[in-house]
Amino acid sequence: MTRNDEIRYIEVDAGPRRFARGWHCLGLARDLADGKPHQVAAFGQKLVVFAGADGGLNVLDAYCRHMGGDLSQGEVKGDEIACPFHDWRWGGDGRCKKIPYARRVPLRARTAAWPTMVQDGMLFVWNDPEGNAPPADVTIPRIPQVDDDRWTDWIWYETVIEGANCREIVDNVVDMAHFFYIHYSFPTYFKNVFEGTSAYQYMNGDGREDVRPATPSKNNPAVLGTTSVAAYHGPSFMIDEVTYHYEDLDVDTILINCHYPIDENSFVLQYGIIVEKKDGISDEDAELMAAKTGKFIKYGFEQDVAIWKSKARIDNPLLCEEDGPVYQLRRWYQQFYVDADAVTPEMTDRFEFEIDTTRPNEAWRAEVEQNLAARHG
Amino acid sequence: MIEPRPDVRLEDAPMQPVDCPSCGAQVTARKSSWDQTTVQWTSPALAQCLERRRAVEESDRPNRRAFPGCPALREAVREAAVRGILDVQSGEPLKTNPAQEAHP
Ligand code: FES
Ligand SMILES: [Fe+2]
Repeated sequence: MTRNDEIRYIEVDAGPRRFARGWHCLGLARDLADGKPHQVAAFGQKLVVFAGADGGLNVLDAYCRHMGGDLSQGEVKGDEIACPFHDWRWGGDGRCKKIPYARRVPLRARTAAWPTMVQDGMLFVWNDPEGNAPPADVTIPRIPQVDDDRWTDWIWYETVIEGANCREIVDNVVDMAHFFYIHYSFPTYFKNVFEGTSAYQYMNGDGREDVRPATPSKNNPAVLGTTSVAAYHGPSFMIDEVTYHYEDLDVDTILINCHYPIDENSFVLQYGIIVEKKDGISDEDAELMAAKTGKFIKYGFEQDVAIWKSKARIDNPLLCEEDGPVYQLRRWYQQFYVDADAVTPEMTDRFEFEIDTTRPNEAWRAEVEQNLAARHG
Repeated sequence: MIEPRPDVRLEDAPMQPVDCPSCGAQVTARKSSWDQTTVQWTSPALAQCLERRRAVEESDRPNRRAFPGCPALREAVREAAVRGILDVQSGEPLKTNPAQEAHP
């Protein structure tokens, strides 16, 4: 085919050849601290996660420095992980502590240990291609609601996404229109703010009458609307505070949407949810609500995944004025892929973008009407 | 390193400077319509913002501890658009107050 100047072509820059600098959540500590080694494929490597007898969670490179045994197939012995091949014992600090059949441990018997942090029930690992320790001011905000009896426990999902770079999911934070078409919501207010290592999304939405239960009941009440404040704190960990507005009450939820890259073309997506047990709602109902919301979100992500699997990577998206700040988001996101001293002010300076939802809302209202007419027709 | 690409929408209508009358902060802004607003801050501008210096209200909510934005600057951007100093791309007339429409 000859190149036609009238046609817009999709452009693809070379994908990142490294993985984002920052804290990445690997999952719930309660699932990983069961005394067994857990294999985690992340950042183009194989890692082993294990809790020693002291209860502390550790993350090491999975390959034993002796003869390359896979530590994730080994066993936790005391505070150490024992290699399945010749039983060398590796501590959480990456040092070989003991070789049961040897008089002494050789010099430089040290493997890669990753900085970890357990916070609000989640295990985080620090990835830094330059090998630096996490700076004290690069943190994940505390979520005190996790320890609060008036909130449910985590409901947690994990899914592997093949055939897509994790930038696709990060793009979602500015993509207002996809929330209507992919997630069955109806955004009426949408604003993004990027500053430093955080990227915020303020979104209010109306309930969709065309996806609501035809006859709402006590167990299946109609959502009249939602108020949401979501933010990426660093490259991969998003907290989303969503209030669901019902006829006679508001229900507060906190969602986590986080991921870690397996390699350049696949990633693990995890999401969790806790729900406030409002007065007048039984614990049981709150748990049910959490489970139901979790299912709804799971469904939403499945829809995203279907898109990601077949879409093209595109570095020159053609945007209309009703789209969000995709380019500026990617500019912000790039700070995690360059050396710390190569981060420029334009990547981190405060940026605000509020969408005019007038025209989208007109179009969507008409579409909802059509759907309802078709349902009743 | 791959340079971040500029927003394609800025090709025909770039960001324009706006000053905040209460603190003197200089930002750049863009409006595609009366209800769409883009604001690009710099760190000197943010350091100058009076609202920014005020402590954000305490909150036990993880996402509510961030600076929500400066109302004075918001007003300044709108004012610049009304006065024609800042372009509004849509070319639509300024929406009148519905209350005024009812009582012309
Ligand atoms: S390879 Fe691990 S102990 Fe020998
Ligand atoms: Fe999505």
